[in-house]
Amino acid sequence: MTVSAQDTRTDRLIRFVFLAAMLIFFALPIIYLFSTSFKTPDDVLQGRLLPEAATLKNYPNAFAHVPVLRMIWNSIAVALLSGVITLVIAVPATYATIKLSAFRKTVPNITLASYAAPPIIALIPLFYLLQTANLMDSVLGLALVHGLMNLPVAFWLLKSFVNDIPAEIDEAAWIDGAGYWHTLFAVILPLIFPGILATALICIILSYNEFLFASALTFSEASRTITVGMSLFQGERLVNFGQMAAASFTGMVPIYLIAFLFQKHLVGGLTQGSIK
Amino acid sequence: MAKPPIASFGSNRSVNQRRSAEWSMTLPLIVGLAIFAGYPLVYLVLLAFTRSDLGQQFQGFVGFENFDWALSGTNFSGSVGHAILFALIVSLAQLALGLYLAVILSKIVRGGRWLRTIVLLPLMTPPVMVGIAWKLILNPSGGWLNGILLRTGLIDNPISFFGNHALAFPAIMLADTWQWTPLIVILCFAILQGVPHDVEEAAALDGAYPKRIFWTVTLPMIAPALLSVYLLRVIMALKTFDLVYTLTFGGPGNATNIATFEIWKTALREFDVGLAAAQTLMFAITVSVVTLPIVLLHNHLEKRR
Repeated sequence: MTVSAQDTRTDRLIRFVFLAAMLIFFALPIIYLFSTSFKTPDDVLQGRLLPEAATLKNYPNAFAHVPVLRMIWNSIAVALLSGVITLVIAVPATYATIKLSAFRKTVPNITLASYAAPPIIALIPLFYLLQTANLMDSVLGLALVHGLMNLPVAFWLLKSFVNDIPAEIDEAAWIDGAGYWHTLFAVILPLIFPGILATALICIILSYNEFLFASALTFSEASRTITVGMSLFQGERLVNFGQMAAASFTGMVPIYLIAFLFQKHLVGGLTQGSIK
Repeated sequence: MAKPPIASFGSNRSVNQRRSAEWSMTLPLIVGLAIFAGYPLVYLVLLAFTRSDLGQQFQGFVGFENFDWALSGTNFSGSVGHAILFALIVSLAQLALGLYLAVILSKIVRGGRWLRTIVLLPLMTPPVMVGIAWKLILNPSGGWLNGILLRTGLIDNPISFFGNHALAFPAIMLADTWQWTPLIVILCFAILQGVPHDVEEAAALDGAYPKRIFWTVTLPMIAPALLSVYLLRVIMALKTFDLVYTLTFGGPGNATNIATFEIWKTALREFDVGLAAAQTLMFAITVSVVTLPIVLLHNHLEKRR
């Protein structure tokens, strides 16, 4: 027994060191980005963790240099709109596939296949489609693309939540004479609300964070999203790292707010959707 | 279970109702996927066999010319190799780190909320900003890591991580690992919660060390689930684009040029859409070929249980 006890003590030490190292690893880039946003250009060159003489100027200067707030607003609009599009399409389809056994094999297979395909496949064709539909360089156009892009994810996340509802509940509603759509809205939706919320949050984050489609499909100030705007800092010859960090951090605030407020739903949604 | 009697009464109408509900509920999804996946595939095939540039498509049928040129005259095959290597390596590293971290977290009772928040943040960060954050840390002028190495005298001149042929890819992998290990932690944590305790307890009563129990009892039980996580991560990693775009733009030379970036360059920088379509189709086939063995292994393990 003594051997076993000693064994766990060194194990515990190793575990503690590993955990501490990983937490520092996870936190450091965010802390460094945040601290850089308060550094003067000279301060940046020092490469120290904390600024020597903190300045607040990077924020107003970055906002004057690039329309940061406008781009964040565009991103939020695209994300919310695309979340609505995704859910409106995915919720009834998931319900029908599982509870009505509609296309029980086909729909899951094609959603999985279209998730596995790299999005670069869709980029060129969708480019032309939006051009033809006159939706190029618009919030609505990008929201539509993101809304369709997130369908497979939403389907797989929602699937497990719908699966958890016992079949007797739907059958009871049907026997009472409720139509299928009515059953979905009046009986099932309230029951899977946590699942819908988690799915909505994940789809909104995926849309907000998306870059490939956004960079090819939006280019004017009226529709350009924050991820595209941030990438523009990269092309400049003389990058002002303080301003870039300030703009980046501002752009991350909406997402981090969601993470803080809804972390339980997010973790629940991610695990339930992918494990079950 | 016996069928409720009402279902047979007037069954013609209810069958019709059910049919129309099935169609009206699933049709939007089918149309959506047709627009996002079906139409692009058809369009790409048409593009791939024609001479097409961004301004004017379908200028003429050219047979397999685009495919030939993609394989012989461009950096495409190298970029596919890079993409596969990248996906397999980062996914494995993240699975190992994430699983170990999940094992540790599952032993911790207190402080879970704070740990969860810290773990969640990298995952939520937009990949473009992940690139910016890591650029700030690894940059030669003013990067935190170079600052430390210079101050401690370990190096005399700053290292350009993203400009160095040997270091650029590992640097991107580091940033990717930072972002995605949290997802693995969350998933593995849930998998570990699902392991029945009685088997582990029985092994512990037999006097087995905790470590031995993990390797011989727990790990074989969760292997199929871990393989699903690995598969998910490989599929996601094969799509990586943002990090390469923000950190290295495929350089130095072609050192970090991965397939998605090569295709993007061909289509939106060189405007050769026909060539890009041929590249895309070949990459899509490669993705299925790479992921297929993992799917088969997963199915095999599931059956054996």
